Amino acid sequence: MEKPAPPPSSGDAGPSFLARHEFLLRRLHSLSGLIPVGAYMVVHLATNASVLAGAATFQGNVDKIHALGPILPLVEWTFIFIPILFHALFGFVIIAGALPNTSSYPYAKNYRYTLQRITGVLAFVYIAFHIWQLHHYGEPFGGGKFEVDHATSSTAVALDSLPVKIAYAVGLLACVYHLANGIWTMGITWGVWVSPAAQRRADYVCAGFGVLIAVVGLGAMQGFGDVNVDEARETENRLIEVKEMLKGERPVTQGASAK
Amino acid sequence: MGSHSNGHPQSFSVRILRQDAPGAKSYWERHRVAYERDMNVISVLQRIAAQSKSADGQPVAPVAWDCNCLEEVCGACTMLVNGRTRQACTALVDKLLEENPGEIELQPMSKFPVVRDLLVDRRRLFRALQKVNAWVPVDGYYDKGPGPRMSQENQSQAYPLSECMSCGCCLEACPQYTKIELTRREGESEAEFRKRETAAFDAAFVGAHAISQVMLFNNHPTGQMNAGERMDALTAEGGVQVCGNAQNCVAVCPKNIPLTTSIARAGRAATVHSIRKWFDR
Repeated sequence: MEKPAPPPSSGDAGPSFLARHEFLLRRLHSLSGLIPVGAYMVVHLATNASVLAGAATFQGNVDKIHALGPILPLVEWTFIFIPILFHALFGFVIIAGALPNTSSYPYAKNYRYTLQRITGVLAFVYIAFHIWQLHHYGEPFGGGKFEVDHATSSTAVALDSLPVKIAYAVGLLACVYHLANGIWTMGITWGVWVSPAAQRRADYVCAGFGVLIAVVGLGAMQGFGDVNVDEARETENRLIEVKEMLKGERPVTQGASAK
Repeated sequence: MGSHSNGHPQSFSVRILRQDAPGAKSYWERHRVAYERDMNVISVLQRIAAQSKSADGQPVAPVAWDCNCLEEVCGACTMLVNGRTRQACTALVDKLLEENPGEIELQPMSKFPVVRDLLVDRRRLFRALQKVNAWVPVDGYYDKGPGPRMSQENQSQAYPLSECMSCGCCLEACPQYTKIELTRREGESEAEFRKRETAAFDAAFVGAHAISQVMLFNNHPTGQMNAGERMDALTAEGGVQVCGNAQNCVAVCPKNIPLTTSIARAGRAATVHSIRKWFDR
């Protein structure tokens, strides 16, 4: 008698969702890193750097974003949270399938490959911390320190300690490297820069871009470090009064802040 | 260890990572070989086989290795020499001892299953070429006439890609190419096992060599006629999208094939191919 065939193991159950759509998923992962995640990061850092122009300017920019009102969470989830989560979680899948080997092959490009994965993990941890610490979603967990109407002063207070400053600098630079080097690899993945000479030129452009956004990001940190919290709070209080007057929630008076 | 008057050692040590059978535990063994002029790693292995004795005088089974052409065009003797993937035939002892005086270290390639000692099973490498149709199908029952002419520019782009000898150095150095070693299950026939193995190979990264061959044949005027099939294979699971752009392949290729250029061109072709497929279906 012939033995019956062994029952199919999980490996024989046909290709998984990840397997069937590997090309699309990898390309979406590549694309989502630039649009919208990378694009958002650049806008975010530029907005933050506007604190260098003073508390009123930064508050004005924050108010413009929050003018979206009830639509803001939809915009946040569609263009920020879901793309970042997809990029990060699929990124972990990619990391899990590889075996970095810089010790055997210590080439510059190979170090960049490994660093891309390290900075990806760092960026994930940092962004999780950043959202917990400042976004109102962090409030139930002891975070959520950012106050929309006190944008400058509340952020300056949250970033006041040295360990937080160091964490932010490391996290920021990890994000910057991951984006700048990611744009370079993306150009190869999609076939934009093909020849070694073109890839070298792209190297300079991506490095220049990275330095630029690193300066903008560190400039924003410097800006929050220089904030005089009391003065900023006073400016913000005056702006609150003006905003309430504009909404008609407060009678229009002259020199309102003087009380 | 004394020295000849010309500065060469009288003998040198060879440290080899041995393995007695597929799946068995590997172990290091040291051999001592008398220095001769103009040796390469193959002639060193021939001396070791003739001695069949380890450095401490123990009789041992000869070390197994693979080789064929002895002029770096077949790829059969690819192994890790002093930790670097390369062909044993063009690994010259004088140069190796300059790098690392007194000792040469030999290991089998780490991305393929070891058959014995330095001999590995590179079936996955050849399966990848099969998966992507790395050939021009010209067989038929009647004369189809001469093919289209190839421009000089096209020829000069194709020639370097045609130099690939399927040695596997690009795969050995690739962090995205990880080892697959399956063993036959209880009651599984050879055919069933091979089928399961092929499926596992096809699900994993094809590797730089196969991507480059697709570019070679897709830019060949006759090969072009099957370009779509090759791009389908290259955008299936384990295709060009798995490349992580570490660019080790191009750094270690003994034939200096512009593998990363091929990968970028394949990436561009995959972009166009997938968009076209999406809108044409």
